[in-house]
Amino acid sequence: MRNNIRALRIKLNMTQEELAQKAGVRRETIVFLEQGKYNPSLNLAHDVAIALNSTIDKIFIF
Amino acid sequence: MLINSNKTMTLNTYKKVKIAVAFVLALIFSQALVYNNYLIPIATMIIASLILMYLRRRVKGIIADERDYSTAGKASLLAVQIYSWTAAISMFILYAYRDFNPAYEPVALTLAYSTCILLILYSLIFRYYNTFKLTEKRTLYVIAVLIMLLVLAVVSLRLFSGEDNWICVDGSWQKHGQPSFPAPTIECK
Repeated sequence: MRNNIRALRIKLNMTQEELAQKAGVRRETIVFLEQGKYNPSLNLAHDVAIALNSTIDKIFIF
Repeated sequence: MLINSNKTMTLNTYKKVKIAVAFVLALIFSQALVYNNYLIPIATMIIASLILMYLRRRVKGIIADERDYSTAGKASLLAVQIYSWTAAISMFILYAYRDFNPAYEPVALTLAYSTCILLILYSLIFRYYNTFKLTEKRTLYVIAVLIMLLVLAVVSLRLFSGEDNWICVDGSWQKHGQPSFPAPTIECK
């Protein structure tokens, strides 16, 4: 699934490690998410959206 | 200090401790096999598991997340399938050739029983996850402990019962009960 995580993260001047901590996952998971190699659960998608001050539908492209 | 004043430890330290524990366990297991002592490795394994469980709670970072659990689930399923098929095929081959070498029979039976136990455990755990909420950790811990106790009981009975086995008497192997496998080939001291 394509997403805007990387763009939003850079916009917020946030590192992958910081985003991972806020979303409660490992940094590698953020890497996989940004590359579109992993489809997150609804919970994780929600946590990532909160960490990026955004919403799920604006981050993930269905 | 492994654990600082806030009683937390880093993920890297935890990984190093885990490797050290695995090394010590391997050392104890190998020595226990040499001295034919099975109590020490079992006790050590339980103690090591408890220590790692305690330390895991003290780790500050995230050890595993949903992606790891998802990957672990897929890997476990594949491992169970590969083991079951390999064990079943090997079991039939070994059992078919048991007349050529009587030692094949206990190996075949061990493979058959271990595969059955593995598949039963898999079915029970699958049923648990499919029926109950994943958040009920307390229930999961109770079931995990019960399964561990069951496995330990079966292993202990097999190892320490002494029934239907070969025992070393005055430098020679003597039948005790009706063992279904030949006398050990190692020297009887």
